[in-house]
Amino acid sequence: MTDTSIADPSNDMEPFNLQFPFTRTLGNTLSTFFSAVAQGQLIGVKVGGRVIAPPLEYDPETGADAGSEWVKVGPRGTVSAWTYVPEPTHLHPVQGPFAFAFVTLDGADTPMIHVVEAPEDQLRSGLRVEARFKEGDEVNGRIDDFVFVPATDPSPSEGAGEPYQAPAEPEIQTMDAYCDLTYVDNAAPVTRVWTQALLEGKLVGRTCPQCGRTFVGAVSLCCVDAIELDESTQSEMPQTGVVTNFTVITPVPYPGQKETEPFVRCSVMLDGTDAVLGQQTIVGIPASEVRVGMHVALEWEPEGQRDVSEIGNGGHGSTGGAVVGWKPTGEPDEPAENYVDRMM
Amino acid sequence: MPRTENDIAIVSYAQSPLLRRSENTETEMMLSTVQGAIKAAGLGKGDIGFTVSGSCDYLSGRGFSFVANVDAYGAYPPINESHVEMDGSFAMYEAFVRLLQGDIDTAVAAGVGKTSNSDPATLYTIEMDPYYLTPLGADVASLSALQYRALLDSGKVTERDVAEVVARNRRAAKDNLNAQVSGDFDVDELLAAPYVRNPLRRHDLPPVTDGCAAVVLARGQKAYELCERPVWITGIDHRIEPHLPTMRQDLTSSVSTRLAAEGAGVASGPVEVAEIHAPFSFQELIVREALGLGDDTEINPSGGALAANPVMVTGLLRVIEAAKQIAENGRSRTLAHTTSGPCLQQNLVCILEGDQ
Repeated sequence: MTDTSIADPSNDMEPFNLQFPFTRTLGNTLSTFFSAVAQGQLIGVKVGGRVIAPPLEYDPETGADAGSEWVKVGPRGTVSAWTYVPEPTHLHPVQGPFAFAFVTLDGADTPMIHVVEAPEDQLRSGLRVEARFKEGDEVNGRIDDFVFVPATDPSPSEGAGEPYQAPAEPEIQTMDAYCDLTYVDNAAPVTRVWTQALLEGKLVGRTCPQCGRTFVGAVSLCCVDAIELDESTQSEMPQTGVVTNFTVITPVPYPGQKETEPFVRCSVMLDGTDAVLGQQTIVGIPASEVRVGMHVALEWEPEGQRDVSEIGNGGHGSTGGAVVGWKPTGEPDEPAENYVDRMM
Repeated sequence: MPRTENDIAIVSYAQSPLLRRSENTETEMMLSTVQGAIKAAGLGKGDIGFTVSGSCDYLSGRGFSFVANVDAYGAYPPINESHVEMDGSFAMYEAFVRLLQGDIDTAVAAGVGKTSNSDPATLYTIEMDPYYLTPLGADVASLSALQYRALLDSGKVTERDVAEVVARNRRAAKDNLNAQVSGDFDVDELLAAPYVRNPLRRHDLPPVTDGCAAVVLARGQKAYELCERPVWITGIDHRIEPHLPTMRQDLTSSVSTRLAAEGAGVASGPVEVAEIHAPFSFQELIVREALGLGDDTEINPSGGALAANPVMVTGLLRVIEAAKQIAENGRSRTLAHTTSGPCLQQNLVCILEGDQ
């Protein structure tokens, strides 16, 4: 196996940005808390003789339902531990240097982890801070609707510890969340071999010396025998084959969509081999006329216009933008029943 | 002590090279490692009763990596397979429990992590509380730094004590061929380094590592058939604390580690070597105290997680390093510890013993 090799940075692929939005429902406790936050009020829940802030649905000591005995806390509190973030990432809620700290709000018995905007040399255990809330359009009813800043007046917060009367129907019922992560994968050796072959207008496959199966694409192992298939097992594959399976996909709208009309994805078994390429495109024939058993031949993009940039390590037999697709040859079909075990 | 059919041992192990960036995929790292461990036990893929791996698709950023990784087991004819979204040591715990059912006598557990694809400064925010912490971008280094600050404020340890942990692990790692970070470092020079998350310095953080590790377990008499000196797992326990660090009574002591150590029976005999999984240097001191280890226990002869940290593998590597001490170095009782989650949220302790 070649995994003693440290990756060469020149084999890094384009950064992949994983983004997906989703909406979380909050339930009664979190709805009550975030609705109070939207009004500029911090609250906790009294359970087991102590006030937990921000509130939880359960008593972490016992697992019991924490109930709904709401208590006003803050807006001032005391720092008990801190660290400093000199260079925030895009996921941090403030853009300049800031501190994360444990802040125990007045009236609460447990600390919360939150942002403190203060110079590093002012931070210490015991520092008095106060919540500074967003205003107007910036209010979302979220944990990042406020940050802490050094308190101008260190005296105890007025009203902290008093009961909080929650509205019957809290205003904030959901929270929009957004995942935004960036990855840089590197093309594995077999992926580079496969994409280079495509650029040269070739299909290559590797044949397992143990079971004799041939795998076409960026595949470096036999998944049946669990042995490595190195380049000595590699040979050039024919560029004609038979459709063994297909599906017609009717696109639904999604961001970045390229296809808008129903299209075919099919599996093609290459002539003279038992190698099947999955997820292939059919061209030159309406989707309704695609058949299992149909003879097809590969049509390449012109040399110099073959795009393999979207072929990743997981693509196996993906041909990316190197080919136009598979075109029917017009030869008589093979019997479909010959291919029932070669769907993919 | 005579072994019974309910005793379970590690009979072989293997690990891939531990690299800052491997050019191979998770599946490729798995193939050579898993099959290497199976071969080292004198077995073939068809001889294994149960397989379980630990990995996380969010590390490599490739969806269903954990499914692709099953190819490394050669899953045809179909195999009995499981997966945990945790370190491979927790996968080993599942294999251990599975073997206790008594109907099979071999199992493989593996961990794999292609960590270098992702950015640790942002990735681990999504493992935090989704309402109270993730929206703040609460990153694992910041949360660890808060725990470190609490430990310093408690007066139990000093920054010098922690720098000495770093120096000792890096020195020990000089003998570990797989270490990424090793060498002789002066404590005063370490203390002069700038903070990346006050009071954490760069050297208090683990390196980014790609890698894989695997162990083969066998039950009862089968263990003696497969190796000369089985490494018996005589105690194992795993305890979890609340995921919000602020909901734990005291971040400077690890209650879950103490309970897991009690459950695993740590105190019922001397511990010659302990491999502690402390991805952030100061955590070794918290864990060591919670395990109740004396000064005669050697800590992390491998260099620990500060020497190499393939996430999802580092804990299983602690098990393998502790097992090596018995299988290869003539020790008779060692300990492996694994942690998971922010600020030592989850802890697994296992006691390994060789026959006298």
